[in-house]
Amino acid sequence: MTGRSYLPSRRAALLSGGGLLVGAGAASAGWALSDPAPASASVTVSAVIPPDDDLMREHGVLKRVLLCYREMITRAQAGRPLSAAHVQGAALIIHDFIEGFHEGLEEGYVFPRLAKAGVLVSTVDTLLVQHARGRVITQFLLAHSTAGQLAGAGVTTRIAAAMQAFVTMYEPHEAREDTVVFPAFRQAVPPAELADLGQHFADLERQQFGTDEFTAMVDRVAGIEQELGIYDLAQFTPVVSPYEPGE
Amino acid sequence: MPTALGCAAALTLAAGCSAAAATGAPGNSAAKSAVTVKVDARSVPGVGTVLVTSTGYALYMFEPDNRHSVSCTGACAGTWPPLQLPAGAAPAAGPGVKPSLLGSDPDPAGGRVVTYDGWPLYTYTGDIQPGQATGQNIDLNGGEWYVIGPSGQPLIPAP
Repeated sequence: MTGRSYLPSRRAALLSGGGLLVGAGAASAGWALSDPAPASASVTVSAVIPPDDDLMREHGVLKRVLLCYREMITRAQAGRPLSAAHVQGAALIIHDFIEGFHEGLEEGYVFPRLAKAGVLVSTVDTLLVQHARGRVITQFLLAHSTAGQLAGAGVTTRIAAAMQAFVTMYEPHEAREDTVVFPAFRQAVPPAELADLGQHFADLERQQFGTDEFTAMVDRVAGIEQELGIYDLAQFTPVVSPYEPGE
Repeated sequence: MPTALGCAAALTLAAGCSAAAATGAPGNSAAKSAVTVKVDARSVPGVGTVLVTSTGYALYMFEPDNRHSVSCTGACAGTWPPLQLPAGAAPAAGPGVKPSLLGSDPDPAGGRVVTYDGWPLYTYTGDIQPGQATGQNIDLNGGEWYVIGPSGQPLIPAP
C-alpha cells in the first residue's frame, strides 16, 4: 500500500487520531477542529482512507450545504431576501465538488462494481437518475441567482423551491448510499483492490483540486454557514430538561 | 438492463468495458480485425437526431476538448465514460452516420477514444436507458456537454 502525505490538513488530522491543527488558513479564519497547535507544527501521515470512507466524508460536505439550503429556504419562506453570494457559493460547492468530483467517483468506480456483481441494480439506477436531476437543479440555481435576478418578482420563491427539491432528494439519497450502497461495495471488492482504489481516489483529488481539497471545501461551506448564522453547532442543541415524553 | 455505466475506471474496473462498447467477437487475430465500435444515429425526443452507441445511448461532445483531444479523465470520465476503441478495433458508421468523420484520439487514461469530426465521444451515466439525452446542455466538469448530430455539429440550444 502506498501512502500519501498532506501537510498539514484536516485529512491528516483525522487520520492521526485527533488533536492536531487543522491548517493555518482555517485556524485564522476562526474555525478549527481542536485546540490550535504551535504555528510551526506539521504532521506527516502515511495512510490511505478507504474509498467508501472517503465518499462518506464528502457526504458530510454535502450535508452541510443542504443545511445552508434549508436556512435559505426558511428565509425565503419568511419573505426575507436571499444573498446571491450565499446561493452561488453553496451551489458552486455542489457543482464543483459533489457533482463534478464525488459523484464521478461513485459513477466510475462504485456503481459499476455493484452492477458487475448484480446487486442493488434498481437502486443504482435511481441514484444515477437523481444525480442527473440534481445537476439540472444546480444549473438552475447557478443560472438564476445573480443579485439582479434575485431582485425579480417570484425568483426567490423559485430558488427556494429548487433548493427544497434538492434537499428532499439528497437527504435520503446520501443516507441510502452510506448505509446500503457503500457497505455492499465494500463487500464486493477485495481488500487489496479497495486499498488501491483508496490511493487512486486520493491521486484524483490531488490532480483535480490540489493537495488539500477536502479542507478547502469544508472551509468554504463553514464560511457560508457563518454568514448565514448557522455555524455554531450549539444552537442546534434542544433544551431537554425538564423533559417529559408525551408532553 | 445494461446502462452506459462503467467504462471509465481505468485503474481497477476496466475489464469488460471495451467489450461492452464493441461489436464483434475478439479472441483470435482474424476475429480481432473484424472488431468494430459502431456509431449509429437515432431520433431522441426533445433533441432530434443524434449520434448514439450501437445500443442506443446518446453520445456527447465536451466543449473543452475543442475537437482536438480527450480532456475528460478521472472523476469526469466516471460520469462521462468515453466511447473506447479497443486495440485492433475500428470505428464503424451505422446508417446516416458519415464514415469519413469517424476517427480516434488517444485517451490519457489509456487506449483510444472514438471521435466524430474531431470530437471525442462520451456517454452519460445519467442516461439509464437508450434513447435518452439527459446530459444535453449540462455544464459540468469544466465545460458544456452537447449531443452531436450526424453532420458533426454539436446541437447547441439557442440562448
